[in-house]
Parts: sequence; C-alpha cells; structure tokens
Amino acid sequence: MSQEKFWILFSKKLAGEAGAEELNELEALILQHPEWQYAIQNIEELWKNHPHTDSIHAEDAYLLHLHRMEDLNIPFGQFPTLSIETKRPVRKMKWYWAAAILLLVAGSWWGIRKMTASKTEAPIARAVNEITTRPGSKSKVELPDGTMVWLNAGSKLTYDKNYGLELREVTLTGEGYFDVVKNKNKPFIIHTSSINIKVLGTVFNVKAYPQDKHTETSLIRGSIEVTIKNRPNDKIILSPSEKLVVENDEIIEKDKQAAHHEGAAQPTDLSALVSVNKLKYISADSVVAETAWINNRLIFRDEAFSDLALRMERWYDVQMEIGDPALQNKRVTGIFRERPLNRRWKP
Amino acid sequence: MPENEQIKRLLSLIALNDDQGAYKELFMLLHPRLKQFAYSILKSNEEAEEIVSDVFVKIWEKRTQFSHIESPRLYFYTITKNLSLTRITKLKRQVNIAPEDWLVQLDSIYFDPEQLIITEEILRQIRQAVNDLPPRCRLIFKLIKDDGLKYKEVAELLHLSIKTVEAQMAIALRRIGKCMQLDIRRSHQVENQKKS
Repeated sequence: MSQEKFWILFSKKLAGEAGAEELNELEALILQHPEWQYAIQNIEELWKNHPHTDSIHAEDAYLLHLHRMEDLNIPFGQFPTLSIETKRPVRKMKWYWAAAILLLVAGSWWGIRKMTASKTEAPIARAVNEITTRPGSKSKVELPDGTMVWLNAGSKLTYDKNYGLELREVTLTGEGYFDVVKNKNKPFIIHTSSINIKVLGTVFNVKAYPQDKHTETSLIRGSIEVTIKNRPNDKIILSPSEKLVVENDEIIEKDKQAAHHEGAAQPTDLSALVSVNKLKYISADSVVAETAWINNRLIFRDEAFSDLALRMERWYDVQMEIGDPALQNKRVTGIFRERPLNRRWKP
Repeated sequence: MPENEQIKRLLSLIALNDDQGAYKELFMLLHPRLKQFAYSILKSNEEAEEIVSDVFVKIWEKRTQFSHIESPRLYFYTITKNLSLTRITKLKRQVNIAPEDWLVQLDSIYFDPEQLIITEEILRQIRQAVNDLPPRCRLIFKLIKDDGLKYKEVAELLHLSIKTVEAQMAIALRRIGKCMQLDIRRSHQVENQKKS
C-alpha cells in the first residue's frame, strides 16, 4: 500500500534517516497525492517545535549536583573551593581598612562622575574624546549612543566627533567591557594595536594591554567579527562564550618580516597566531572569569605567576618584583575581591 | 550526528583538562532530557533528579575512559535507563518494568501561530492522538522527535529492531496526520451545509 510506505518514508525524512533514494520515492508519492499536502506541511512544522526547556531549572539542578558530589567526597578539581582569599586571616582585617575602601571607591566614583559630567557639559565638540583610567582605578563610560563601556585599570578609550555619524569607531588600549547598543546601520568598530573588532550590538570584553603577550576578546552574547591588523582578509566570527586569543609578539614579528620583504606574500598559517577557546565559567555562580573585574573581582585560573603579577600591578597600582625566578612560571588559581593589598604582599 | 560530535568535544575537554566549564555545559545540555527519561521510568521528580546526578558522577569519575565511545549520547541514555530500573527494583520491589509501563510526556506539541496554519481544535486533537498512542510508540516518538536520537540508538536502547522503530514512527505520524485530514473533510461538510 502506498499509504503505509508513505508514512514510513515521511517519518524517516523528518528524523533525518532517509537516504537519497527514499527521498525520491517519497517525492513521487507526494506528487500523486496532493491532498496530503496540508497534513505534511503542518507535521513538518510541528516536528520543528522543540520542548520548552527551562535552563534555570538545569542551573539549580547543577548546583545541587555539585553539592551532592561534595557530599559523596568526589574530588572536583581545586576550583572554586580553594582561593587565596579564604586562606587569608580575613577576620583580622581592621575596620579602618573597610572604611578606607569605602572612601576610596566613593571618592573615585565621585571623581569619575565629575569628570564625565564636565565632559558632556562642555559645549565645544572636541575633535577627540579620550577617557583614561590610571593603574589602580576603573571607570564606566556612556558613549553618545548609549553604549556602555567599563574601562579596567590602566586603559584608554578614544573616539572622535564623527562617532555615530556613519560608523561608531573607538580605539582601545588596555581592557574594556562593552555593552553595545544595537544599531544595524552603524556598526561599532573597536581598533586595538593588533586587531579590529566589528559588532552590531552585543556584550563582550576586550583585553589589549600593550605589555601583554596576547590580545583577548571574550564574547558574552551576540556575535562579533574580528580582523587581525595586516591580515584584513582573515575574518574570525566569534560565537557566544568563546574567547579569541591573538598572539601579540607574533604579529609584531610578522610586521617586521613584512617590512623586510617589502610586502611579499607571507602565507603564514592563521592558526599559529590565534586560538579560539571557551570562556572560563566559575562553577558556583556561573560568573565568567574574563569579565569578573567589572564586579570588582579578580579571578585567575591556572595562570603563570608572572602574568598574575602584571595584572595585580595594574589592579592595585603597585610595582611587583619577583625575587625567585622559579616563582615566575608557577601556576596559580584564586579569586580576589577588591581590597587594598595586605602587607604581606608588599616587598 | 552534530549533537554527538558536540558531546564528544565536551567529553574530551573534560578528560584532557578536567574542564569544569565543559562539564557544566554537558550537564546543561543533557539534564532536561535525561531527567525526563528517568522520570518516565521512576515517576518521581526527586528520584529522577538523583539518577541524572548519579550519571554525571559517573561521567566525572570515568572521564578519561569515554574517548572511544561511538555514541556517547546512547551510552548516557543507557546508563540512565539501567540506573533507573535498578532504583525502581529496589524501591518498589518490582521486577522488570517494561517500556509499556513507562510514563512518557511530550511537551513539544504546541501551537506556534507564526508557523502552524491549524486551529486550536486540530491542535487539541493532535495532542489527544499523541496521548492515545500506545506507550511504547509514544516513547519511541518522543526519543526521536524531542530528544533527537537516531533510529539505531533507540533500537539499541530499547532492545528493538530498527524495523520496529520505523513501523512505530509511521504509526505515530499517521495518527497525527489523520487529525488534519479529518478536519479538512469536516470543514468541507460545514461549508457544503451552509451552501445548501
């Protein structure tokens, strides 16, 4: 019976189980029975519906699962239970430290407010707007189109008076967390020393300190397109929860080489320069390590101590000297909440 | 089989780097379906939750051993099934609860006005038709439609032949299809009555 055959073939097609021959056979059957069309169309649409899944429920279940693992004494790595913070004698911290932090934070916020306020009030359209943060301080900026930028310590963001006319172009040195207002007609472009990032509307973090070995771009949601300076044809599209790491040294070296060869074609492998990784989610509260700094947390996981030292220098505006060279490459993991450096950390 | 590829990728991250982010991603990916599957056997939310947690305990403990499994998805469904059946044997001292006695819920039969050109009434009939499917047929339909399993995986999981899975799927779809053909005929009748 053609009916029986039809349902077998049709369900195989929906489930992605049908071969080319079977699909042809099904096609022929359908042509003979135009009256089936209505049911076929609707079943195809119905097939595409997915069950509503409740990700919040799964998040809760995951937390319970982690607790259960703990109860069952199953070792689940060191993170997040081990953090340097818990090892410090937190309770002994004097109350005046707390007061000092409050003053500091309040003071810097007030300062920033005043700074940005006076800027927007200035009637003369300045050719270039520049927002800088000193080491040890952070800042939050609202751009003319409502895009929010959090600037980490020791960073600089500039944009000129053409911002928002056709494009929304900014230049970044250092680290910024961007929440870009959607506008399909005016792409938002970030220039750093090694890469350009083009976006339409999305949330992401860019870390482009000139002293660092890498430039990192972490995408939280939406999608962005990254091009590497001097390689405009290689476009890298990032998906949410992906991090693009570009080797800065390599690029600088390539520049030098290119200069030597007078722009001779350099068929270098793109994968040698860049890598795409997953973002580091911290299991307990699904905070992304890369963007924890905007919540005043410094999270580092399995990083070389020398890299951490560099981050702490910016974070606290201090100079760190590592006496023991063996310590340089030691891997460390932990979380800091923002607070002044304990004496023991000072040289 | 893109999903199995995704699962394999996560498993290798977990095996090589103890990657907890990948572990969580895998949990979020599989939890809803494995839990529903366990629930269909155990008919208890808490029990089902614990079974899935047990499955993930195994995934973590044996993380280095999964690299050569061809279909990790089928493997996890199989562990879920086995753990659930063992649990129910202990709990209710019931031996051998057959797939016919599993309680299967399908929650993907809903109305999307942008896509479906059917009435609420037809949708109600379709839901009814799905609910009235013999339990094993409904289970197979759910595993393939909602959970995205392949015929071969379902056949192995439920110890059936692939031909049986094919036939059960055809039965399920034919019954759904009937709802719409009947309705067409009925609406024609209504129009004819109006004309006369």
